[in-house]
Amino acid sequence: MTHPRWHRRHVLAATLAACGGALALPRSASAQARSHLTLAMVAEPQTLDPMASTADLVGTIMQHVYEPLYTFNGKWHIVPMLAEALPTVSADGRRYVIPLRKGVPLHSGRELQADDVVASLKRWMEMAPRGKAVAKEVEDLAADGAGKVVITLKNAYAPLLAQLALPTGMAAIMAKEAIATPLKEFIGTGPYRFKERKPDQYVLLSRFEQYSPRKEAASGYGGRREALVDELRFVPVPNANTRVEGVLAGQYHFADLLPIESLPRLEQANGRVVPIRTPSFGFPYLVFNTKEGVFASQPLRQAVEMAIGEGEMMAAGFGDTRFFSVQPNHFPEGTPFYSTAGADHYNQRNAAKAKELAEKAGYKGEPIRVLTSRQYDFHYNMALVMAEQLKRAGFKPQLEVVDWATLVQRRNDPKLWDLYVTHSGQFPEPMLSPPQLGDGAPGWWNSATKQRVLADFNREADPAKRGALWAKVQQLVYEEVPYIMVGKFSSLSARLPALEGYAPAIWPFFWNVRVKG
Amino acid sequence: MHRYLASRLLGLLAVMGIVAVFVFVLTHAAPGDPVAVLLGDQASAEDIARVRVQYGLDKPLPVQFAYWLREVLHGNLGQSIFLQRPVTQALAERAEPTALLAAMAVLIASAIGVPCGVASAVYRGRWIDQLFTGIAMLGASIPSFWLGLVLMQLFAVGLGWFPVSGYGSPEAGLGERLHALVLPAIVLGLLNSALVIRFTRAAMLEVLEEDYVRTARSKGLPERTVVLKHALRNALVPIVTVIGLTVALMIGGAVVTETVFGLPGVGSLVVNAVLRRDYPVIQGALLAVAAIYVVINLLVDLLYMAVDPRVKL
Amino acid sequence: MKLPLTLRRLMRRRIVMAAAAVLAIVAVMALAAPWVAGHDPNDTEVMARLQGPGAAHLLGTDELGRDLYARIVHGARYSLAIAALTATGAVLFGSLIGLVAGFFRRLDAPLMRVVDAMMALPDILLAIALVAILGATLVNVVLALVFVYTPRVARVVRASTLVVRELLFVEAVRALGVGTARILWRHILPNLMSPILVQLSFIFAYAILAEAGLSFLGVGVPPDIPTWGTMVAGSQQYAHQAFWVVLFPGLAIIVTALSLQLLGDGVRDLLDPRLKKSM
Repeated sequence: MTHPRWHRRHVLAATLAACGGALALPRSASAQARSHLTLAMVAEPQTLDPMASTADLVGTIMQHVYEPLYTFNGKWHIVPMLAEALPTVSADGRRYVIPLRKGVPLHSGRELQADDVVASLKRWMEMAPRGKAVAKEVEDLAADGAGKVVITLKNAYAPLLAQLALPTGMAAIMAKEAIATPLKEFIGTGPYRFKERKPDQYVLLSRFEQYSPRKEAASGYGGRREALVDELRFVPVPNANTRVEGVLAGQYHFADLLPIESLPRLEQANGRVVPIRTPSFGFPYLVFNTKEGVFASQPLRQAVEMAIGEGEMMAAGFGDTRFFSVQPNHFPEGTPFYSTAGADHYNQRNAAKAKELAEKAGYKGEPIRVLTSRQYDFHYNMALVMAEQLKRAGFKPQLEVVDWATLVQRRNDPKLWDLYVTHSGQFPEPMLSPPQLGDGAPGWWNSATKQRVLADFNREADPAKRGALWAKVQQLVYEEVPYIMVGKFSSLSARLPALEGYAPAIWPFFWNVRVKG
Repeated sequence: MHRYLASRLLGLLAVMGIVAVFVFVLTHAAPGDPVAVLLGDQASAEDIARVRVQYGLDKPLPVQFAYWLREVLHGNLGQSIFLQRPVTQALAERAEPTALLAAMAVLIASAIGVPCGVASAVYRGRWIDQLFTGIAMLGASIPSFWLGLVLMQLFAVGLGWFPVSGYGSPEAGLGERLHALVLPAIVLGLLNSALVIRFTRAAMLEVLEEDYVRTARSKGLPERTVVLKHALRNALVPIVTVIGLTVALMIGGAVVTETVFGLPGVGSLVVNAVLRRDYPVIQGALLAVAAIYVVINLLVDLLYMAVDPRVKL
Repeated sequence: MKLPLTLRRLMRRRIVMAAAAVLAIVAVMALAAPWVAGHDPNDTEVMARLQGPGAAHLLGTDELGRDLYARIVHGARYSLAIAALTATGAVLFGSLIGLVAGFFRRLDAPLMRVVDAMMALPDILLAIALVAILGATLVNVVLALVFVYTPRVARVVRASTLVVRELLFVEAVRALGVGTARILWRHILPNLMSPILVQLSFIFAYAILAEAGLSFLGVGVPPDIPTWGTMVAGSQQYAHQAFWVVLFPGLAIIVTALSLQLLGDGVRDLLDPRLKKSM
């Protein structure tokens, strides 16, 4: 039987104990001499196996643990990473001899050998989507002694090195004995090693003491990498708002992919945070189902191309003009693949003409199923505006807003959708993205012209000539409309002033950065 | 007593059995393939089929249910597809923040609710009663995410007294963890105090009209003693009942608050599992939460019975 | 000093009357939405995004330049419709189950076990799971919420049925040969009206909050349907530079839910002081 006074005292005591605990100094403050960085990311990575997912997040985290043979420097040129130097390529462009660096330690302690590289690449070619695309071109892959790897191709294939270099769906080099599916151990050669993962809480990477850096100066993802911070903590913070508030409150050292709307807030914070603009981050694009349904008809796709106004869509998605640009060229000015071919098809926003074309093409008012997701808010905002533009041209858009997992699954079934919204990073090599330039990706674009034009494009070994050949591909994309590139955007992230040495990158990396104080 | 206990336990088993069937049917009727999600964006159809067999997802439903039930009875809730670890382990890891949060929130809810409810009952009809009853109603009308966002803006972002989100750093001690729970506990505590106020008030009102209270008053005892010593003591039983139920409610009901503040608790585990189509986690977590709720209910009823001999079996 | 009984009743009633008036206003605005709104709630004016309350837009605009006042008024239609359908459904099914369980002794235990099972799962979690399975459409959200709240109504109605059953000496009446259906329909049901009405009002309020919570988590109605919940969920990341996008829909939720609860409480006090205890 509870006596009221005892009950009260009991409650009081318990409350005091809780308060006392809360006021006590956190144990971490005194015990810690290790430096660490808390990095707020957009989500929990679905897997830590870089070959099992093409998600940016997985690449961002695991690029600290695994290294590729080649990578991109600050000018998006291919530079060697685990390879000693650029490969020796035979005259017909079919044989690549890749020399490996010597004395590179794996996280398990022993030295990296050529068979580790061969085993890793074989796995990559079986598992990763881009790996599978490369596998179609490869005739043979073998080690030549302990220090060289030889790749023999069926035909010249210009994008090979770029495919090996991209951090997402990475051709990661792993220790041979750690290879398994699913991966249980993460043994790579990177400046950080895998320490611990608590799903939905954090992924911890700690400095690899025996890391052997390259000698060249750091540039982009290449060159010398040094782990100046003891521990990296990647925490999933799916709510964009919380990422903003967290970095403002000093709880995170770095907050990734922030909404452009939060920029004024970041700028007015009295220097508490440093907003980071990563220019030329990527491009949103719309994919058409060319196999089944309404858009199996090319004239109808062209009608849609006429109806939409990419400019209005980009404004709805990104708001601040500092962060987006509306240009018909798929590749930025100054890059080898810059071209304005097909520009007259871009940003037409001509509802009347589109309606006419649609009627002629036999459009009878069928619903147009548009798949989109709120995981990236700009996808959704753009889809809303596009729906209005389509309505003005007499189309009947039907927005299906699903979570990203469902979208990724649904887009594999040609019976379920007509159009979907997604985005990609802006890469220097066209074949890296969008996947519709390859075979078998959702949308299933295939035509005799496509095969011919792309074969020409990829067989050309001379980079100077290849740049010009892209114009033909771009023109074809504007004419056959398998996908529509909407525009280009920059991304916004933020860091604390205490985080020094950070270089803006599409996949943020934290080697060569230090934390002050 | 034993017969009552036995019949209650049987009832409990029946309830859990129904919950098990229900939970199983629920999760397997869901669209979205967890294997496709696990293997990533562009996995091939053969890969997906292979892993489906690996997880036994290709067998007919009743067979899957039988397997699952057998495992559950052995304490094995299965393996999470996404987290690559046993569901029981995932639950155990996520139990701490939810449990601590529930405890703190109940403390706050009681600390506010009981005194207000008592005052409301004692000064029935006067402005205090109106005020507290009105506040109780307001509390039950505010969406928890709204209150969470407001408090977060005021105290975490504006004043910086508390972390904006999360459960403390990986090596945090209990103090830091509790500190991170203060704001969410205040949100839950405030909103649930509404319930406690109402029940306390109702219980006190009933008790205050009983004969023995009248007797105490006529004996000339000061009102304060009458209220606190005699009335409250007897009203404690339904009050404790409500508090017990509140704890049970919070175990799974703090989902929205956990999401707002980024707490790695059981509620957010289930939400993420639903979004990722992680069937084993959804099933296991719902089952566990239901079991806890049912057990707490039973304990509260037993406590009620033990404490108040007037209650008929 | 206690106020005189009549004055207390009057004060109580005044607040209840005020609550009822607020609800009436909300309902009228929802019904008359197309004429009252002024703007098209889906009209995206990207150049006019995130403007504060002013002459052109009474309550400001959201992140796509849509008029907030128009969206709240149209949103009232959806939020109220969802909540009303939920409350009606839950009350109908719950009353049926509760009535049967309370009246037919042999069906009581099994029915109540099922009800207990449904109540063993916390409402939000259950609603999330249900919506995930059925798919996130407006109809499915209503179905899920009906499923969640039916057992709660069933419990209350069963308890009241048990009480009324004893009061009416049902055994005796039955012995006289009066048909079961007649007993249920003409004698028991009328006496259940007040707890049923009270439940209707409360479930209505809970449903509004539940729908908002589901939408906030991203597992409610599709975001292009403007309910108050999806408005808060969709605009929360703009809350700091444009707090009105979250403030006004939030206030709409609070005001409506509060009025419903005050109304329910008032109805309970007025109609049947005996059954005050049955929550």
